[in-house]
Amino acid sequence: MFDQSLQTDYAGTRGPLFWLALKTSTLTVLTLGIYRFWMKTRIRRYFWSAIRPGGIALEYSGTGVEKLMGFLVAVVVLAFYIGVFNLILMFLSFSLLNNNVVAYLASFVGLIPIYFYARYRARRYILARTRWRGIRFGAESAAWSYAWRAMLLWLATILSLGIYLPRQIFRLEKFRTDRTWYGQQKFCQTGNWKMLLRGARHYYIGLGLTITAGLGGFVNQSMLGLLVLSLPWLAIGFVHLRVTAFRRMTDAKRLGNDIGFCAHPRTGRVLGIYLLGYFLVGLCLVMSMVLLILIAVVVMVMLQSGALGYDSFGALFSGKGKSAEYLVYVGIALVYFGFFILLGVLRQVFVTLPMLRHYAETLEIRGGHHLATIRQRPRDEFSEAEGFAEALDIGAAI
Amino acid sequence: MTLFMDAEMPVFADFMDGDAAVVHRVRVALEDTESGKVVYLHLTEGEPVKWSVRDVRRLRDQAGRDAVTYGLAGEHPARLVVRDASLNAELGRLCPHLDRHNNTPHLMRRLVILSAAAIASVALIVFVLVPKLADQMAVLMPAKGEQALGDATFKQIREALAQNSTTQLKLCDAPEGKAALEKLVARLLPGTDFPYDIRLHVLDHKMVNAFALPGGHIVMFRGLLNEAQSAEEIAGILGHEMGHVEHRDPTRLALRSAGSVGVLGLLLGDFAGGAVVLFLTERLIQAKYSQGAEAASDEYAHALLAKAGLPSSRMGDFFRRLGKKDKDNSLLSHLASHPDPVARIAAADAANTVADDYERVLDDQEWQALKGICN
Ligand SMILES: [Zn+2]
Repeated sequence: MFDQSLQTDYAGTRGPLFWLALKTSTLTVLTLGIYRFWMKTRIRRYFWSAIRPGGIALEYSGTGVEKLMGFLVAVVVLAFYIGVFNLILMFLSFSLLNNNVVAYLASFVGLIPIYFYARYRARRYILARTRWRGIRFGAESAAWSYAWRAMLLWLATILSLGIYLPRQIFRLEKFRTDRTWYGQQKFCQTGNWKMLLRGARHYYIGLGLTITAGLGGFVNQSMLGLLVLSLPWLAIGFVHLRVTAFRRMTDAKRLGNDIGFCAHPRTGRVLGIYLLGYFLVGLCLVMSMVLLILIAVVVMVMLQSGALGYDSFGALFSGKGKSAEYLVYVGIALVYFGFFILLGVLRQVFVTLPMLRHYAETLEIRGGHHLATIRQRPRDEFSEAEGFAEALDIGAAI
Repeated sequence: MTLFMDAEMPVFADFMDGDAAVVHRVRVALEDTESGKVVYLHLTEGEPVKWSVRDVRRLRDQAGRDAVTYGLAGEHPARLVVRDASLNAELGRLCPHLDRHNNTPHLMRRLVILSAAAIASVALIVFVLVPKLADQMAVLMPAKGEQALGDATFKQIREALAQNSTTQLKLCDAPEGKAALEKLVARLLPGTDFPYDIRLHVLDHKMVNAFALPGGHIVMFRGLLNEAQSAEEIAGILGHEMGHVEHRDPTRLALRSAGSVGVLGLLLGDFAGGAVVLFLTERLIQAKYSQGAEAASDEYAHALLAKAGLPSSRMGDFFRRLGKKDKDNSLLSHLASHPDPVARIAAADAANTVADDYERVLDDQEWQALKGICN
């Protein structure tokens, strides 16, 4: 049989996503945040269903209820950990060392393994609730060993002033990929970290210039001027590294022996989506705030002229016009929450959606006919969902 | 009877059985049978798959209008993707429960129980476990550690109360005023049996308040000095705060808030402006000791005053005046937060053993110097 290549279609559009995101985030504010678990669920359903490898959409099957329950469990565990742990640290730090620097440091360091643990668990939950062609994805339970590894690799990255980063990216990705399943077939990350080096050269140039500027700054203040050049270089080099790393590592992934992948996202396009996206987000925010201020001015003028049934403008601030005063509070609250709602919604529409489109449309699956041999895997109950990530507020963007 | 689409006008759809990752091209037919209407999915070979219209569900929040994905009620992973608009319309007409998705009623009950349990557990941690542990630790903490804790807390409070974030609130230290203050403390605590060096500070702030911090720090605000009408009133208040120091109340409180502030941050953290809420909550918690602790400190103050030959009824005068004033700026005041001011005033009056011709703690000049310590 010849090699069958599956292209990926993308069906997401701005309009429906905008209304879905606006509706769900408004509900989230109105329910004091409780609806956010359903909001996340519904937005994921939309994004997943927009990605159609070989013409069949991905499906997200998570629920809001299980997310809320997972969150509650995580809050109790973390409340115990943070409450008691902080207290003991504070006591020991003051009793033995007569200061609290160690306590602050330790309570921060103590959260780092939990952060990586939560990240891995959230990824496992999302995979367990993702289906394609009716077959579930899955990940093995390895959150603590992931946390341990991630901490060591990050430590190496920091101690090496960032030089170790490509190797860290590869090793963590390999750890995750080698524990990922589609049905009863396992993924495998082939290749090695050296294949990321070609895409890392701009990152290294930026890094080198930044370190030079930093060290030179001790000797001669004017060396710090180099940062103007080196920091943007470093930032763009970093994005380029991430994009090419994604490309190379996806190309080197295997599902079973016979199914491969081919990804070709482009750095220029990714940067363009970021820049244009955030420009549009900013533009829309400014325009809607201007509109709100205009409305407020009109309301004020109408109040002053008595058109709304209030005696005078002065009553608004004299304390006599109680209901007018509430009107002002409601207005302020509307602007405040409206701003954050709109920011989140616009970001989904102008940044996340086009970014997913780019990554989806440039993804191919090679050897698609071998998929027919892949069987279903049992459901991973995973009752805690992504509660820890939610409680620590490190949930993914979507 | 065939309801829709016979063999002459076949309509096809993509079917996945939820067992293998294969997309089957199936011919869809809708038929009336004895057991109700059924969707028949004819595979290229073998028996057709039958879906009762009552069990058919439509996936929600899907992108793209060109295709509709159907599944079955419950967790069954089989899926049918229909791209034919007229078939989608027909399915919409015939399937009565297309959008009924309450497949988790058992979870809802668990959710209610779990929510109650979670709230109870967090409350238990914040209000019982952390305070109990803090109380134990406060007793075990060496005096040096308490002093360090007090230094750190004092610095934080000065920073928090300052107008801008880069400075600390001004300390009042006019020399004559300080001398008067030292004289006052010497009268109250003539012996050396007090466990800490008392470190008395006056802060340049209009709040009518005084409070104690771990390790012997006692802090008064300028507002308190302005409000007081005699040095004896100040002596009473200092005595009360010394009581708190002696009983290690501030150490307990500081340890408690170290534990509960972290938890509150976790609970409130991801609301916008969480830091403000956090700060206020912390302050409110800090302003209050238990009724028992307040009463014990008052008794301690009465005893100190009696030993120093000063009347405790002056303390009562001060609270009487404070009570008459508007409670507007007493929100954060530890002194005004006493649960029962009437009983407190009565206790101060009743404890008084000193006649009216007592030796004044400060003369008029010294008293004026103390009041002007911030100038
Ligand atoms: Zn008190």
